[in-house]
Amino acid sequence: MPLRSKRSLTVGDHSHALPPPTLPGFEHIKRFWDKENALFSAKIVPGEYYVTVDGEMITTVLGSCVSACIRDKMRAIGGMNHFMLPLDHSNGNTAWGAAASAATRYGSVAMERLINEIIKHGGRRDHLEVKLVGGGNVLGGMKTDVGSENIEFVKNYLRNEGLHVVGEDLGGVYPRKIQYFPKTGKLRVKTLVSERNRIVVEKEEKLIQTFDKHLNTGDVELF
Amino acid sequence: MGGLVLAVDDSISMRQMVKLTLSSAGYSVVEAEDGQQALEYARENSVDLVITDVTMPRMDGITLVNELRMLPNYKHTPLLVLTTESSPERKIAAKRAGATGWIVEPFDPDKLLATLARVL
Repeated sequence: MPLRSKRSLTVGDHSHALPPPTLPGFEHIKRFWDKENALFSAKIVPGEYYVTVDGEMITTVLGSCVSACIRDKMRAIGGMNHFMLPLDHSNGNTAWGAAASAATRYGSVAMERLINEIIKHGGRRDHLEVKLVGGGNVLGGMKTDVGSENIEFVKNYLRNEGLHVVGEDLGGVYPRKIQYFPKTGKLRVKTLVSERNRIVVEKEEKLIQTFDKHLNTGDVELF
Repeated sequence: MGGLVLAVDDSISMRQMVKLTLSSAGYSVVEAEDGQQALEYARENSVDLVITDVTMPRMDGITLVNELRMLPNYKHTPLLVLTTESSPERKIAAKRAGATGWIVEPFDPDKLLATLARVL
């Protein structure tokens, strides 16, 4: 494991203290002191993920997107992703078949990144505990129910990988605000029925449009 | 076209996607769950190309590349790294270990096949 800077010791009110150093690669994630839970919180947006070994909380707001909350239950290490599948215009009729469709490849990468990061920092596959949340049918104007597709994908993926889901809060018609505590595995879900609904929907519609214009695939570099 | 490809990943989903893509283009694919299993297979058998993940239990992909390059049969075999990692340090480590190329996931099936055709 790479060296991390020495932490400062503070007692009592941590609101002015610096958050613990992140694991390498997560420096860009927004973090702040959460007064209510008295710990540091990392806030992720669609497409991001975060893994912590420092007892931080991870939060996000989900519409039709899904978050997998995964931790090694024997060690205090875990994290959360926040993803949406791109709409797959090929309907699985591509030369390489449905199992390697663009949507599946994107979703698998979102899951693989999170799991790999946990394993990289000492987690073990057979100790992983998974909770799922999100996938609401909040994009009323869309032809397809993106939320259900996201749910179907993530469940298939986990079944395929032999990973057991211990808790889920999926589907429905409302967005959710969630708080995940990887140290204990606790997941708090608040249903949003207010005007904030609209903001979540607008953000997700924008994400879908971005996918439509440009599906990013990884670089190939030959040495 | 064709040839025997060893696909190494601890995630069965990732292995399946690689397998589907490559077998649709006429390659034969054998799978290994981690670097250790891949190394054991490669020692006993002769494969034409290896595609490996980086982060895996028991033996990671970069160690696998290093170990394979020490075997006389694998001095010139294309060894590709296929990973969700984009860290430059690990890419350099893979290059130093003797990898032929570095491919970041999600892969584009056509690009992956074109890369294989180029290095084989």
